[in-house]
Amino acid sequence: MKKRKITALLTALAVTAGILTGCGAGGNESAPAADNAPAAQESAKEESGGEAASGGEAQAITIWYYWETEGHQVALDQVIQEYNGSQNQYEVTAKYVPFADFKKQLSIGASADELPDIAILDSPDHASYVEMGIFEDLTGKFDVSNYYEGTVNSCTVDGKLYGVPFGANCLALYFNEDMLTQAGCSVPTTWDELMETAKALTTDSVTGLALCSVQNEEGTFNFVPWLWSTGATSYDINNENGIRALTYIQNLINEGVMSKECINWTQGDVMNQFISGNVAMMENGPWQIPTMQAEAPELNWKVTLIPKDAEYASVLGGENYAVINGGNVDGALDFLTYATSEEKVKFMMDKFGYISADKTIAESQFAADSPYQPFVEELNYAMPRGPLAEWPSVSDAISLAFNQVITGTATPEDAAAQAQATIDGIVK
Amino acid sequence: MAKLKKFFRYENVGMLFVLPAFLYMLIFVGYPIIRNIILSFQDVNAGNLVRGTKNFILFDNYIELFKDSVFTTSLWNTLRYTVLCLVFQFVIGFVLALFFSQRFSFAKPVRGILLVPWMIPVTVTALMFKLLFATDIGVINYILRSLHLIDKNIEWLTTPGTAMFALICANVWIGIPFNMILLSTGLTTIPKELYESASIDGAGKVQTFFKITLPLLKPTIESVLILGFIYTFKVYDLVYVMTSGGPVNSTHMLSTYSYKLSFEMFKYSKGSAVANVLLVILLIVGVFYIKVTTDGEDA
Amino acid sequence: MMDEEKRLSHKKNILFSIVSVVLLCILLFPLYWALITSLKTEQEIFKNPPTFYPHVLNTKSYAAQVETGDFNMFRSFANSFLISVGATVIAVLLAVPASYGIAKYHFKARKIMLLSFLVTQMLPVSVLLTPMFIMFKNMHVYNTWVAAVLADATIGIPFSVLILKNYFASIPKDLEEAAYLDGCNKFSAFVRILIPIAKPGVMVCAIFSFLYAWGDLAYGMTFILDQEKRPITAGIFNFMGQYGTKWSYLTAFAVVTIIPVALIFIFMQKYIVSGMTSGAVKG
Repeated sequence: MKKRKITALLTALAVTAGILTGCGAGGNESAPAADNAPAAQESAKEESGGEAASGGEAQAITIWYYWETEGHQVALDQVIQEYNGSQNQYEVTAKYVPFADFKKQLSIGASADELPDIAILDSPDHASYVEMGIFEDLTGKFDVSNYYEGTVNSCTVDGKLYGVPFGANCLALYFNEDMLTQAGCSVPTTWDELMETAKALTTDSVTGLALCSVQNEEGTFNFVPWLWSTGATSYDINNENGIRALTYIQNLINEGVMSKECINWTQGDVMNQFISGNVAMMENGPWQIPTMQAEAPELNWKVTLIPKDAEYASVLGGENYAVINGGNVDGALDFLTYATSEEKVKFMMDKFGYISADKTIAESQFAADSPYQPFVEELNYAMPRGPLAEWPSVSDAISLAFNQVITGTATPEDAAAQAQATIDGIVK
Repeated sequence: MAKLKKFFRYENVGMLFVLPAFLYMLIFVGYPIIRNIILSFQDVNAGNLVRGTKNFILFDNYIELFKDSVFTTSLWNTLRYTVLCLVFQFVIGFVLALFFSQRFSFAKPVRGILLVPWMIPVTVTALMFKLLFATDIGVINYILRSLHLIDKNIEWLTTPGTAMFALICANVWIGIPFNMILLSTGLTTIPKELYESASIDGAGKVQTFFKITLPLLKPTIESVLILGFIYTFKVYDLVYVMTSGGPVNSTHMLSTYSYKLSFEMFKYSKGSAVANVLLVILLIVGVFYIKVTTDGEDA
Repeated sequence: MMDEEKRLSHKKNILFSIVSVVLLCILLFPLYWALITSLKTEQEIFKNPPTFYPHVLNTKSYAAQVETGDFNMFRSFANSFLISVGATVIAVLLAVPASYGIAKYHFKARKIMLLSFLVTQMLPVSVLLTPMFIMFKNMHVYNTWVAAVLADATIGIPFSVLILKNYFASIPKDLEEAAYLDGCNKFSAFVRILIPIAKPGVMVCAIFSFLYAWGDLAYGMTFILDQEKRPITAGIFNFMGQYGTKWSYLTAFAVVTIIPVALIFIFMQKYIVSGMTSGAVKG
């Protein structure tokens, strides 16, 4: 009888011991195949053509990306499959990490030394990861001279290039043409005109304007065009210009032409409100166009530049490729060279509804009457956020200030002063 | 050998039953707790997460936190959110548990169905409540307007006070089945003979409740409350999805603020420090629970 | 009111049943709203005032559950099921003896152990993820379902210990002593006599351990990178994210995730209900 008790105990101990040793062992098996690549590269390329000729297995290259849209995933996958078919040295696979989890997964991966070989990430975060030291210096390896300056800036730190722009986008103003005609308004180009138009368009069931105002990077993305249009910068808010931008947004709320609920609407939610006819004008990006055309084909809308205060301004968005320095750098570079060729870029941009970061491609990318064309024009006024390793903290201060005036919890003056104090603590 | 025999005396055998579970938790959560304490005394951020030196700055993170108004708001929010949620979900859950312990035909099936909210991932529940509480298209405002309880839509999620209320509603909704089921099963451990003899003795229903039900249910009630407290106190998904701590940081909780610092702003050490404050408060509550539940019984 | 033995009168039975159905309707209204939202078009969802039933029936959202990119409903359902069952088995196997030990033996380290079960629940998920990730990587289980099972079990174990110890404590000592007289030792008395009596508690702990693991998103997402190995909750990201929340898809997703679990519960109801409500101890 006693034996049984002891057996049970021993089993329990054995199980836990197994867990313990499993925990202690291992540890250093990450970053495989990192250094045996370069020599084999040349020879494998020569005999490419499809059939696995050489003895060695293809090296695995992993990409992390965050697009949940099926069209995006399929387009990326197609390029990857074509690449895998074109040579047999590397085998590229792409892994989906949700947008909401992307920064977290990269942070955790960096702590645990478990990262992909390539990451396709949101451009304002780029500088932070460069600071973390996980990205490879790509200076001189890619010709980015034809790219929009802002896109290149977003992956440049201290004069060194740490990434390649994937694609570019920016924000512009969408308007419901039928509503505009019905109200007898013309397309607004200045802040004053925008306010008048928004008032005219607002009815019991329709609000004039909507812009995503959530208190995070997405909100900041939508606020900075208004801030920059006055001449204020992201780092210099507590002045006449910064306060004017905050006051303008506050007036939109106070006049009832913009719903307070914008603070809970992501850009996608704003788009949904727009195509449902609850909102007459919205600030949004070109990536919404495929969805809008699919979900509301009969809706009559157009895109124009964001109305200006002192000068036209927009914000640059989009993703960058980055190569992880602990991974298979040669393989990553080889794939990126393939994926950034003009033909592949054109293919992906069209499928994504993105604008090429390459100016020469972008300018001939769309027909003159394409709804994307205004975004190409707006790109000329678009500036990047940062680049700054502490951008997330600056961004937090900016989106907080705008949220304060929208919810009426602070006056524009106080909000500006508070944001400035935070920013001054970050950027000396 | 004699020593070993002494060790296997009656009481210590009990430890052997506990040991496997204890070791399991020690391995999987012990390390994170220690790592987190160390991290909170350093200054780890994007610049030195992977490379460079991780300086020990001792209590600087904590000192900075208590000067940070978002942190103090989160602390206060977490406390009042937890207490309010706990009170409502426990009371409603208890009443329902008593109600469903009656032997009427629908009791068992209906009680079973009430567990359904638990089958939905919290993230989805949070989104559902966001839709219910929406200002213009939300059905809650619509119902209130139809009943003429309000004449203007309430801006639930865009006003600080009401946003907190909406969060509490969502959490109570999830918490009711939890409390009800656990208390229901607790009720089954009370021997029926006790009620019979009580009714023979002429005790009224209220009297029976306070003299028999409550005292015998005490251990269950204590467990349900402490678990509820811990789970509510470290609430994360629900708040993150419904309000993301907004409007203007008015609904940030310690856990959401910790997440934001760690994974959105790359201030890993500060995020850990926030988590540790949360841990310490729960630890105090935990010690209090142990004291209340084990006092006297060892004597 | 507390008298269970006496059957309720016919009139009371009907009255209580009606009340219970009314309560059910109120409490499950959000679920009704999820269901009808899933059947509306996106435009109708954004209608002001809201509609109480879909004016235009839209079933596209359900078709979308099966055909979104590389996310496969059925496969991820199987993943979730595997992970949840695994976590439940670990939690029950470890928690049942542990709670018995804590309830019935007053050894010295008892309070400390009980406290440490509580403490392990006290860290928010955000700070658990990185260290757990490092551990799972070193154990070579990163990016496998094992990692999710091991992590999810850490929720179920302390919960079950705390709930179950009350059941074991409520079992009178003389029952156990009678077992010893019959020739049982402590271990066999535990298995043959005590576990069957504590069955309602064990059942509830199993259910909650299962549901905790079923609803988990953070662990499954962080420790499993391959889409084809991820749990069903990962599917939520197909319908919300960078491009806005697609309410009809999302609510359809909620409905679809409920159905399999609800079916399991219905099929097992005989066991669950009897487990939950029988087993009252003779005192």
